[in-house]
Amino acid sequence: MARRLTVIPELCSGCRICELTCAIAHFGVNNPKKSAIRVLVTYPHPVMRLPVVCSQCKLPLCADACPVGALRRSETVVKLDRSSCISCMKCVEACPFGAIYAHGDLDHPVKCDLCDGRPKCVEKCPKSALRFIPEESLGESKRLNNILSYTHMKEIEFTEKGEQRTIRYAEIGQEELP
Amino acid sequence: MSIKSGYFMKNLHVDLAAGRCEWRGLSDAFVERYIGGRGFGAKMVWDNLVRLGFQIDPLGPENLLVIAAGPLTGAYLPSSGKCSFVAISPATGVYADSSIGGTFGVELRQAGVDVLSITGRAERLSILLIDDDEATVVEMPELAGKTCLEAEGMIKERLGTHDVKIAVTGVAGENLVRFACVNADWSRNAGRAGMGAILGSKNLKAIVVRGNKDLPIHDLAALVAEGDKAYAYMRGHKYFKMWQREGLMMVMEYASAAGILPTHNFKDGTFPRVGQINGETMFNGYKIGDTACFGCAMSCGNINLVKQGKYVGTVTEGPEYESCAMLGSNLGVDSFAAVLHANQLCDELGIDTISTGSLIGAVIEGYEKGVLSLADLDGQPISWGDDSAIMTLIHKIAHREGIGNVLADGAYGVIRHWPEMHKLIVHVKGMEQSAYDSRAASSMALAYATSDIGAHHTRAWTIAKEIEQGKNWSDEEKVNLVIYHQSLRPLFDMLGVCRLPWIELGLNEEHYARFYSAITGREATLGELLALSNDVYDLTRLINTRLGLTRKDDSMPYKVHACPIQTGATAGKVIDQASFNRLLDLYYSKRGWDADGAPPANVERLHGECAAIG
Repeated sequence: MARRLTVIPELCSGCRICELTCAIAHFGVNNPKKSAIRVLVTYPHPVMRLPVVCSQCKLPLCADACPVGALRRSETVVKLDRSSCISCMKCVEACPFGAIYAHGDLDHPVKCDLCDGRPKCVEKCPKSALRFIPEESLGESKRLNNILSYTHMKEIEFTEKGEQRTIRYAEIGQEELP
Repeated sequence: MSIKSGYFMKNLHVDLAAGRCEWRGLSDAFVERYIGGRGFGAKMVWDNLVRLGFQIDPLGPENLLVIAAGPLTGAYLPSSGKCSFVAISPATGVYADSSIGGTFGVELRQAGVDVLSITGRAERLSILLIDDDEATVVEMPELAGKTCLEAEGMIKERLGTHDVKIAVTGVAGENLVRFACVNADWSRNAGRAGMGAILGSKNLKAIVVRGNKDLPIHDLAALVAEGDKAYAYMRGHKYFKMWQREGLMMVMEYASAAGILPTHNFKDGTFPRVGQINGETMFNGYKIGDTACFGCAMSCGNINLVKQGKYVGTVTEGPEYESCAMLGSNLGVDSFAAVLHANQLCDELGIDTISTGSLIGAVIEGYEKGVLSLADLDGQPISWGDDSAIMTLIHKIAHREGIGNVLADGAYGVIRHWPEMHKLIVHVKGMEQSAYDSRAASSMALAYATSDIGAHHTRAWTIAKEIEQGKNWSDEEKVNLVIYHQSLRPLFDMLGVCRLPWIELGLNEEHYARFYSAITGREATLGELLALSNDVYDLTRLINTRLGLTRKDDSMPYKVHACPIQTGATAGKVIDQASFNRLLDLYYSKRGWDADGAPPANVERLHGECAAIG
């Protein structure tokens, strides 16, 4: 089943544990700047924290921009072949989301590889702001969010094992996932 | 065993008068003995005072400002985003440090700076730019009079990048308000002791950092294993989700029920309308997002938006408990929107919320009791809960207008101007008391009185434990707890991490010795680290006694001894002078200080023999 790494920015606290986890897993260094996922905070309206990470596009513009064919989509991941990369960083500029990164110490771009199918950043995110979900579920939290706001409901109250509980809408996507 | 890693071994020293930035090497002995953060700062401030012969004007160019994160800052462990600002305080005239969360300290470390020291005064308003190994002082006079966020935006525009971290001071810092703060990451502040005024006195509006380096870690695998254990513990804690939901705002309800919530300038211990300004109200009516410092899973920060009414459109990170208590219940304000707006004003103008709330509370009580006249208030009356008048006063303090010019000089300034106000201002050493009423627990009074920076809870916070378990505590138990806290809590500021995982979620403090050992390669037990922290406590004490403090400065103000708490679970409580003196005697003797609170001669020898630069 094809899964996508997706972000719920409303839940992100900007703690950057994802950045550290990624850098440690891929480069063996404690350096959040060497991460394929980076949390952006915008000024002068720093209200939102937005983790920016590769969407693994089916028609990847980064691969189109690569003059030596070092980026290729295989199954569900756009993979970088470091041995043929010439370090031109055209892919970094070509990505419409800015989701590929460059670092002065490295002679290749930093790009998400989904950790061979088990993204570590998703496991470590303390806010469940990062999700690895079936492609068909993409947008589910937004859809639910829309319905709930349409009906002026912010929370759902329900009873579980005799206890009164509520779910906030942003958590519904998670509740329904396998 | 000696240090193998964990540091770049670099001090960036900036002389603003000469416009010179110099990279100096740190000695092994210095990093081993002082660890980082507050430890580095205390030692460098001491060395500077020795050079000056202990003659110093806190707002003069000679006051060395030391900014240092610690060896744990930015590393894979819970809440590793802290950084200390250390100097002689313009509010108290003695040693002070104030720590800031967020990400500024991490960026500073990644730029290769273990400790940044700044002296002198720039000719025109300037910023300090640190871009990995390069540091320059750049004039930016157009930043004059700008709020923190405005200045941050202008700097980013001028540099053409968002990828920098900025510590900036607001209008208040430029105007030398003695409790001006330094702001970073929008709403994180090195709030207390007037670090912003020191930046202002140096004509330095901001410190701008970009760092891309790997942090030096001796054993990354060991660190990750220990970090994972700590994260897993926190995520499994029953209050973990609650912390993410409300953060420190949940303390409002607790403090009011326990009778320690500052209300009406510390007249009452409980606020009947606390429900309108508590965490639940915030979460249901205002919260739109969550924020965390670097590496923190608890994310105690709340982004709040006012959606309707007088303050519609106000959006800020905060308030946390202290700000909400001091700008809310302490001023009789029962509108969360008003508290939020006051908090945002303080952040933007760059003044400390605790000192501001405390001083405005004293003004309201002073006017109520006739100590202050309408003329003293520039003809504008003020009363409990009068949010419009409170906003005006906040502006006046930051701009030093009218009565604001007196308040801007802090507790000492106000008392100098209106001596009768000493009965109304709750402070120690010129620093206004934090939002925990010390009359409810004598160990807390001792903690405030003996804190090296004044009446702040950062050094020891014993009040909850004494209320819950300490009914029959002996003096010895109280003193021991205060001293243990005064060793452990400053240790967090030396390591460059936040203490909340420990104090609030009970993360075992032994973890921190293992983090330290993994990062530096120097096997150290918690006991050894606590001993080093204690040495630094002796050093800051020595700084203070050399600057003229004595036993009489380790005392609580009039209100704490003479005015019992009026309402709440602690009603009637007051600190008995004689028993307080007994506690203080015991405290001095347990610390090995003399009856006047001076540390023994070997303390000076110990700290004199180590050279920082080598």
